[in-house]
Amino acid sequence: MARKMLIDGELDKANEAESHYDFDLFVIGAGSGGVRASRFSAQNGAKVAICELPFHPISSEVIGGVGGTCVIRGCVPKKILVYGASFGPELEDARNYGWDVNEKIDFNWKKLLQKKTEEINRLNGIYKRLLSGAGVKLFEGEGRVIGPNEVEVIQLDGTKISYSAKHILIATGSRAQRLPIPGQELGITSDEALSLEELPKHAVILGGGYIAVEFASIWRGMGAKVDLFYRKDLPLRGFDDEMREVVAKNLEGRGIKLHPSTNLKELSKTEGGVKVLTDHGEEIVADVVLFATGRTPNSKRLNLEAVGVELDKAGAIKVNQYSQTNMPSIWAIGDVTNRMNLTPVALMEGTCFANTVFGGKPMAPDYSNIACAVFCIPPLSVVGLSEQEAVEKAKGDILIFTSTFNPMKNTISGRQEKTMMKLVVDAETDKVLGASMCGPDAAEIMQGIAIALKCGATKAQFESTVGIHPSAAEEFVTMRSATRRVSAGTAKPRTNL
Amino acid sequence: MAATRVMASAGNAVSTPQSLNLCFKNGRLLTQKKRLFFVNNNSSKKLMLSVVHSFPCAHRSCRFTTTVRAESTNGSEPSANYDFDLFTIGAGSGGVRASRFAANFGAKVAVCELPFATVSSDSAGGVGGTCVLRGCVPKKLLVYASKFSHEFEESGGFGWSYDAEPKHDWSTLIANKNAELQRLVGIYKNILKNSGAMLLEGRGKIVDPHTVDINGKLYSAKNILIAVGGRPFIPDIPGSEYAIDSDAALDLPSKPKKIAIVGGGYIAVEFAGIFNGLKSGVHVFIRQKKLLRGFDEEVRDFLGEQMSLRGINIHSEETPQAIVKSSDGLLSLKTNKGTVDGFTHVMFATGRKPNTKNLGLEAVGVNLSINGAIEVDEFSRTSVPSIWAVGDVTDRINLTPVALMEGGALAKTLFANEPTKPDHSAVPCAVFSQPPIGQVGLTEDQAVKEYGDIDVYTSNFRPLKATLSGLPDRVFMKLIVCAKTNKVIGLHMCGEESAEIVQGFAIAVKAGLTKADFDATIGIHPTAAEEFVTMRTPTRKIRSAPSEGKSDSDAKAAAGV
Repeated sequence: MARKMLIDGELDKANEAESHYDFDLFVIGAGSGGVRASRFSAQNGAKVAICELPFHPISSEVIGGVGGTCVIRGCVPKKILVYGASFGPELEDARNYGWDVNEKIDFNWKKLLQKKTEEINRLNGIYKRLLSGAGVKLFEGEGRVIGPNEVEVIQLDGTKISYSAKHILIATGSRAQRLPIPGQELGITSDEALSLEELPKHAVILGGGYIAVEFASIWRGMGAKVDLFYRKDLPLRGFDDEMREVVAKNLEGRGIKLHPSTNLKELSKTEGGVKVLTDHGEEIVADVVLFATGRTPNSKRLNLEAVGVELDKAGAIKVNQYSQTNMPSIWAIGDVTNRMNLTPVALMEGTCFANTVFGGKPMAPDYSNIACAVFCIPPLSVVGLSEQEAVEKAKGDILIFTSTFNPMKNTISGRQEKTMMKLVVDAETDKVLGASMCGPDAAEIMQGIAIALKCGATKAQFESTVGIHPSAAEEFVTMRSATRRVSAGTAKPRTNL
Repeated sequence: MAATRVMASAGNAVSTPQSLNLCFKNGRLLTQKKRLFFVNNNSSKKLMLSVVHSFPCAHRSCRFTTTVRAESTNGSEPSANYDFDLFTIGAGSGGVRASRFAANFGAKVAVCELPFATVSSDSAGGVGGTCVLRGCVPKKLLVYASKFSHEFEESGGFGWSYDAEPKHDWSTLIANKNAELQRLVGIYKNILKNSGAMLLEGRGKIVDPHTVDINGKLYSAKNILIAVGGRPFIPDIPGSEYAIDSDAALDLPSKPKKIAIVGGGYIAVEFAGIFNGLKSGVHVFIRQKKLLRGFDEEVRDFLGEQMSLRGINIHSEETPQAIVKSSDGLLSLKTNKGTVDGFTHVMFATGRKPNTKNLGLEAVGVNLSINGAIEVDEFSRTSVPSIWAVGDVTDRINLTPVALMEGGALAKTLFANEPTKPDHSAVPCAVFSQPPIGQVGLTEDQAVKEYGDIDVYTSNFRPLKATLSGLPDRVFMKLIVCAKTNKVIGLHMCGEESAEIVQGFAIAVKAGLTKADFDATIGIHPTAAEEFVTMRTPTRKIRSAPSEGKSDSDAKAAAGV
């Protein structure tokens, strides 16, 4: 080690001499969390190694790639496809603005896919350079924990090498999961959906989460027929009920067929494609059936049970507030811990880990007021509490401010789609507890609002901010009168949709 | 008050808004019939709007406002001596807001406005004002229209292709835009009516501190509010009669083939983007080296580059001296550097002037500044105690939301017994250039002047969309932090969706939040906006004087600025 390591975190009892180990830190998994933790630990003076599976767009037990889910099979390729899909509706919108768009418009899925793969390869390279630039040693192969301070890397040719490390960090993420129904192998997951050979003409999607609604929007925007099935009466469980209704309405308005409260029972192969049987007895034949039915932590092949690392029922690694497992030298961050499965959260956990273990600054990640976005078209973005959560947690009354309006662009395009915004305010303290928006640019708009919420901004502070005119975002600072007042502990509040 | 009666008959309000038959006795308005009839703009359905409702309210409010005034220092006479508690001249953003809020507080309010026209003049204007008719709204609609061409280009990189390149039809756009403006004018009128304020058509002129003349009829008011806005100004050079201003540019009969835009302010860059997007040849002539004087220097540089990359010709330090019309009908622009010819249109975006002429202001003793703006105190009061002014006519910060704030504050001051100063600090604003700009707080130069020691964080990146589209689009972001307090005192962005993105950050800056607060906020991934909460290392630290604990690297960084 060239530099002397900085003071270890208080949680480190061992205090053995550094030279006993090959590395101060060995990280398994080079996704968002793992790369961040490695880089920041190295910057704090630690000698760091990281291992990752070989690169491939579709993940499995033995393939992955530097960059992880976000870069290869998640946020980035998804957003690229959302951009691609957005042009379809844009062309429709252009007509009333005077654009004579030829009826013969062609969309070439293969071209988009190729460009997407190029971009992902480029990012994969950037991530690798980030690691080498930070002085982190990268091993390609499957990592396994074989002792509290020992990791084994199974290389591509099958040979195994083991390394000792003072700390082991598991950041192996998660993987898409299929529903255990007959014919499940005929369906695909989001991994394959991001790399399909052909654009589906007719897609069936099962799931009500963000992945389901995003793919529904992507394929629909590219011209496919889409049937979306989910178990609840609205998609996006966990989000504000009123916003869920808006999303459902918008998906429908853009031509996606919704099948609420419906499950898939069985898939079978037919000449026309995959036949889907629903629990309502309905039959649909589609070329693609996507399971967007949740993700499962990648904890199985890590040999964790043998070493004594505790997992929860879902297979997620149990950690304390500093991301430490029950084994003091073994830590875990990101989706494999199933806390809040978002890239920026994994980054935060990685940073906190590096500060705690190698920066001498014990730091627990703060999960309050984390904004997130669903990139359906138009997108939904939220920060803080939903109305239901606020009412549940409230001691006093909650004020709900809503605004539903026709975005200016639609006044000429003629698109029949409203934007909705909502603020949830504590009546007594005037603090803004939650903000949500469904409409164009919601994700971009919400970022600044998130700072305000994080810092406990009041409704009065929102109002004292002058609007930017004409924008959609200005509506957040010009909502003058409450739509309704909800008393704490009351039954499910009525929505005004 | 009981004797005050209004008679108003109304015909078809669509083409010529109704002249109201008002009867006067001793300078006071008399009502002979308590009903107003209007025709809804959007349908032929007749609406019968009854002011009968508003009269009992007005009675109550009079008592209310009288009480308020007894406590305030505004005036000595009871309001019942006047026809109105508030008479507003000008029904633009500021005037409508002040009038509505005043009426909601119980005041008896009248508003006058000139007849509708898309191009403003001494005798034409229209309810809605600059923002709705000749500014923000039509401008933004044209920006939307013109942005599509960029999207067509982008879409190629995402797999989309067209048999023939999409062509734009100007007349469809203008017809649809004007239909939307008519709809908005109708909405504004309804908003006023519903608030109980009375709308009068005609040119308001101040006769004395409590009297307004409209078309020869006199109305008395306890308070007069001037909210007449501003108007484009074209400097007097040879051939200036061939030039158009922004009013005309928003409503041209045909699309320019090649346009010269004179000026480097936000109007100039916005129109440059509009016409460039709609495939006109665009040449921008600016006196200075850079566009957008007053904006952050780096943002000015960045926008200039991006506009050039999109095909706009920027002629810097080139001042027009004359416009010459040649025999083929095309216009040439003579400048200090030579002649550029072949223009179908020459547009001047060379500033706006307050509409203070022929209002009778000088005669009643309202002080004006050198540029003709009405001088007001912090409460928007002029040098004549009963006369107030809000919006562009005061030339403070000429933005719609600021006029709204000033109007709202004035209504509170006058009629809610709540003296309120509009707060002009940390007002965010946007320029709808392509790409657009959003900003709040101080520029780097202003920050250095005001705080001395600052840390500057910048980010200049290629957005995800551009990596696929292959276009040279980039995004620039900048945070300016006070070194002593860690407060974010300036935030700037140029890139797609800047205007939408900056609004939320404006709340944070207005609330005085620190860089640490920004850092503690988790990003929304993948967005452009998340860059503002993930800027870890200052690009430079600027220190006014060497301080004790100053490190070498700081000194180098500062020297490198």
